Amino acid sequence: MPAGHGLRSRTRDLFARGFRKKGTIHLSTYLRTYHVGDYVDIKVNGAVHKGMPHKFYHGRTGQVWNVTKRAIGVEMNKQVGNRIIKKRIHVRIEHVMPSRCNEELKQRIKKNDQLKAEAKAKGVVISTKRQPLGPKPGFMVEGTTLETVTPIPYDVVNDLKGGY
Amino acid sequence: MAFVKAQKSRSYFKRFQVKFKRRRQGKTDYRARVRLINQDKNKYNTPKYRYVVRFSNKDITAQIISATIAGDIVLASAYAHELPHYGLKVGLTNYAAAYCTGLLLARRVLKKLEMDEEYQGNVEASGEDYSVEPGESRRPFRALLDVGLIRTTTGNRVFGALKGALDGGLDIPHSEKRFAGFDKDGKSLDADVHRKYIYGGHVATYMNTLMEDEPEKFQTHFSDYIKAGVEPDSLEEIYKKVHAAIRADPSPKKSEKQQPKEHKRYNLKKLTYDERKQKLIERLNALNAAAGANDDDSDEDEE
Repeated sequence: MPAGHGLRSRTRDLFARGFRKKGTIHLSTYLRTYHVGDYVDIKVNGAVHKGMPHKFYHGRTGQVWNVTKRAIGVEMNKQVGNRIIKKRIHVRIEHVMPSRCNEELKQRIKKNDQLKAEAKAKGVVISTKRQPLGPKPGFMVEGTTLETVTPIPYDVVNDLKGGY
Repeated sequence: MAFVKAQKSRSYFKRFQVKFKRRRQGKTDYRARVRLINQDKNKYNTPKYRYVVRFSNKDITAQIISATIAGDIVLASAYAHELPHYGLKVGLTNYAAAYCTGLLLARRVLKKLEMDEEYQGNVEASGEDYSVEPGESRRPFRALLDVGLIRTTTGNRVFGALKGALDGGLDIPHSEKRFAGFDKDGKSLDADVHRKYIYGGHVATYMNTLMEDEPEKFQTHFSDYIKAGVEPDSLEEIYKKVHAAIRADPSPKKSEKQQPKEHKRYNLKKLTYDERKQKLIERLNALNAAAGANDDDSDEDEE
């Protein structure tokens, strides 16, 4: 009989729990809070059968658009044919973790706000824009000696030492 | 010694997954804990309080706890070893003492949250099932009972503590099925029997029985009661006074003695590498001296 294409087909390894990570789910999964607009990663927890997303969404990142009692509504992109559609799914919190994709951005915003406030207090104009790395600066090479390499005339007797 | 095949190979240990630490210690039931802590996501950071009651051999702990990722936070706590301040010297782990501890905790929490005027609870303990009515300004303080790992049989002391907290004015969802005095066949709570247990009536009855039938056993079993001068008939009065004292001033009393400057060490201090090496040399020297080995051997070992 041919292989089926059910909802959880080909997920034997994908939804499997990790090595030595089976059993009780740690409590911080249930204690996290999510607000609308947060970025979250979807990572299916095979131990919890309810509220599982389809295997396509495993490993995707999206924004929260809805918060219910035990689940989160996540909106993410999916390529369907020749276009990309925004898809909205509901997932239980066990299959969701907060994404660190914009963690660097949030830190930078905080730092820039602080810098701008300091500069305003001092009356200095600063630019908080990130600059790309330019070409590396030039440098002097230290601790070198000069060795001149010149060709030497071919010496038949010495070069045929081994295989003559 | 018979030759025994090694049961646990290296691969056994490599593949072994340990349970959570508190499960290994046998202290936390994670199945229950997950369900107690799980807060609706659309309530965001609203804390979900649980009323934790634990019994040790000589003490009762009653706490109101909320959970965070960093760790659980205790809002208020009450212990049975505080009851001597309120006039109860003996019998600190029985049903009546559990009731007192629960009552003390409830009044403490409500006082902390400035809700104690509004929610007096059930002042006269009658043993009947009592649930808090919502007041005018604020809704009653809600907590969920966390029994831990005990077997929830009818008449267990945790339900005595539960009744104390309920009469104190907390809103704890419950059923009267497990209170002492619930009749399984009639499926109803006999309030008089429950009231007896709350005022230590069961202890008084046993005291009277022993005094008549087995005086020597009475002397050994209730020696603390005799020393404190507690009579079986006066038990109810004592508990009534304790309840009144608790309602009058539930705030915790700070102890007078200050912390010792240097804390007593309960485990061995970890030795440094040099200290361990030195100890080994000393041990070897002692062994060699005892065995009476020749000087060559002991020189090699000292190296």
